[in-house]
Amino acid sequence: MASMNMIQALNSAMDIMLRDDPSVVLMGEDIGYFGGVFRATEGLQRKYGEHRVLDTPIAEGGIVAAAIGMSLNGLRPVAEIQFADYIYPGFDQIVSELARIRFRTAGEFFAPVTIRTPCGGGIRGGQTHSQSPEGIFTHVSGIKVVMPSNPYDAKGLLITCIEDDDPVVFFEPKRLYNGPFDGDPAKPAVPWSAHPKGQVDEGHYRVPLGKADIVRAGADVTIITYGTMVFVAAAAAAAMQVDAEIIDLRSLVPLDVDTVCSSVRKTGRCIVAHEATRFSGFGAELVSMIQEECFWDLEAPIQRVAGWDTPYPHAFEWEYFPGQARVARALKAALESA
Amino acid sequence: MNHYIFKMPDLGEGTVDAEIVAWHTQPGDAVSEDQLIVEVMTDKAAVEVPAPVSGRVVSITGAPGDKVAVGSPLIVFDLGATAAVQAQAVPEPTVLPGGRAPAVAITAAPTGAGAPAVQFAAAPTGVRAPAAAASAAAAAAELGASQPGRTGRVKTSPATRRRAREAGIDLTTVAGSGPGGRILRDDLAAATAQTGSPAAPETAPATSEIKVIGLRRLIAERMSEAKRSIPHFSYVEEVDVTELESLRAHLNATRPADAGSLSYLPLVVVALTRVLESFPQCNVLYDAARGVLVRHRAVHVGIATQTPDGLKVPVVRHAESLGLWQLAGEIRRLAERARSAKATREELTGSTITVTSLGKLGGIASTPIINAPEVAIIGLNKALERPVVHQGTVVVRRIMNLSSSFDHRFVDGYDAAAMIQALKERLEHPATIFIPR
Repeated sequence: MASMNMIQALNSAMDIMLRDDPSVVLMGEDIGYFGGVFRATEGLQRKYGEHRVLDTPIAEGGIVAAAIGMSLNGLRPVAEIQFADYIYPGFDQIVSELARIRFRTAGEFFAPVTIRTPCGGGIRGGQTHSQSPEGIFTHVSGIKVVMPSNPYDAKGLLITCIEDDDPVVFFEPKRLYNGPFDGDPAKPAVPWSAHPKGQVDEGHYRVPLGKADIVRAGADVTIITYGTMVFVAAAAAAAMQVDAEIIDLRSLVPLDVDTVCSSVRKTGRCIVAHEATRFSGFGAELVSMIQEECFWDLEAPIQRVAGWDTPYPHAFEWEYFPGQARVARALKAALESA
Repeated sequence: MNHYIFKMPDLGEGTVDAEIVAWHTQPGDAVSEDQLIVEVMTDKAAVEVPAPVSGRVVSITGAPGDKVAVGSPLIVFDLGATAAVQAQAVPEPTVLPGGRAPAVAITAAPTGAGAPAVQFAAAPTGVRAPAAAASAAAAAAELGASQPGRTGRVKTSPATRRRAREAGIDLTTVAGSGPGGRILRDDLAAATAQTGSPAAPETAPATSEIKVIGLRRLIAERMSEAKRSIPHFSYVEEVDVTELESLRAHLNATRPADAGSLSYLPLVVVALTRVLESFPQCNVLYDAARGVLVRHRAVHVGIATQTPDGLKVPVVRHAESLGLWQLAGEIRRLAERARSAKATREELTGSTITVTSLGKLGGIASTPIINAPEVAIIGLNKALERPVVHQGTVVVRRIMNLSSSFDHRFVDGYDAAAMIQALKERLEHPATIFIPR
């Protein structure tokens, strides 16, 4: 075990995969010589060479398209899109090609591509460096969607994704790269070294897809969330002294329906929380699924906590970001006597 | 009248009939395609059968507990009635876009809670509501459904509705103390206390009758058949599992992150697969019709599992080829599927030998009944520390008994005892569990 932040954990995952599997290649903008704008690939080109860790032109459509071609010819590419905000030029390649290869060829071909991309706000990044587009990808059949909330999960999930024979979009909540963040920007930053999930196995290990993590067991209300909001929700529940069961989904597709539903059946109350905008967000899918599966156990309407339905703003970030106060309001509504 | 006769479908390989477990529809009901209409049971798996068409149910065949042969008529639908409703409802010009009956009914609700999905909240709903209400009422009249008066609706949570239904309380008679007259959980509790729950002792009958149907009947038939036709030879031996326990504790302390904790069961199963290499006469299925004993090289181990519905025996296929952790994971997965009634027919059939363990309830000895057509069943009793004499002194050792039954027609007492002794040898020297013959 070693103390790692999320960047180091991701770097370790890619290092191990490059070492163990000659078909693994990394590609992306500034990931090679420079080591990535967030340093996730630092040192890897030096260690494995320019033919394993490739610098690409600034053309996301081309990055994804090249990764697809490489994967069909036996490689296992890990493509970095520098910010999730820049993934849209590659969207057609992801939706129309990558997601469908296995289906289109009746299973004859498959595309083991992992697309890593930093997402989420809280870093004063404005509208072009703060988006959370995971819900858009969960709507596309044929790709898996993953978002870790801590270094330990980040490494284990990334290894699982690279080894997976089907395409995955792997979102990295960039506000969590250097430490957990409870939604209060006034507090001094906390490093991962002070958090148990910052202790990371140096070797190869997997964290399975489709298995949610019960971060905290509780009896009164279920909070279903992922990414940065795991810590925001936990802090809000603690501040309100609510005995909340907090579930970190970790993978959105495949979704751990059993863990979610057995928790909601137990508590009878539920809120879902994500940074992404509310309308047609992934929270809407969670709410529908829960009411289908658990309707007769619900004591109160399910509440949603989400970003406002506007583009991520340049100013007033902390009015936009769904912080502890908004989680607290939802908890209060969910816990109203019924 | 346009009748559609739906026959009992073939629900699996070799199924000749299926037992009706529960009807979800009755003659006179209007059902839509894919709605669940009946739950039936074959061999060991329960199957929910959806309606193949939309229509009104004219007649049904069989009461719960009755068996209906595959291919004989199960339900008769009248397709004419619904078609007539649609013919009148669809061209109605006031119906909303995509104007299926449910969407219309929601719009018609005077609570105004459900705005049509195609609109944004700001759009005025009042303009369309009256027209929609007329067509919804027409549709309701055609369907003959008695729509409860919407003004008499009660406000409460789904969970409270369920509790009221289970307690037999009519929520319209309960006063709500919550916001807007909402009935709270406590209001219902108070009402239940006042009226007296339906299960109150003074009103409860002295006896109650439970029909022996479904899985229970199947268990009963199999148990009787096995006990009647097989001369059971039962054999109990004690096994010193002190070293096995120490191995188990070590494996649990160092187990992979994704593995659950290990019980004795998978360890015994691994040992059993090794031992059966030398005792092929115990890994046998008896084909009574042909008078043949079929020896199996593969070991498909049935795991007797208690479920809310009763005893089920999910099967670990090719246990001899699985590693310990794989085996433990597979046992856990199958038990979970059996308990949540998700196990498939394939997962519940095809075992060649069965292991039964009651865990903490294991007792000191049991007389397990053989899972016919197998010829052997191995039972695990409770492991606990006992004083034993070892080289003249009393020492504390962990002891577990194995209680097993064999089909004495085909397994001689000598072989059965030798087989259990071989199993004991392996379990008392746990390293040998992992060494092939």
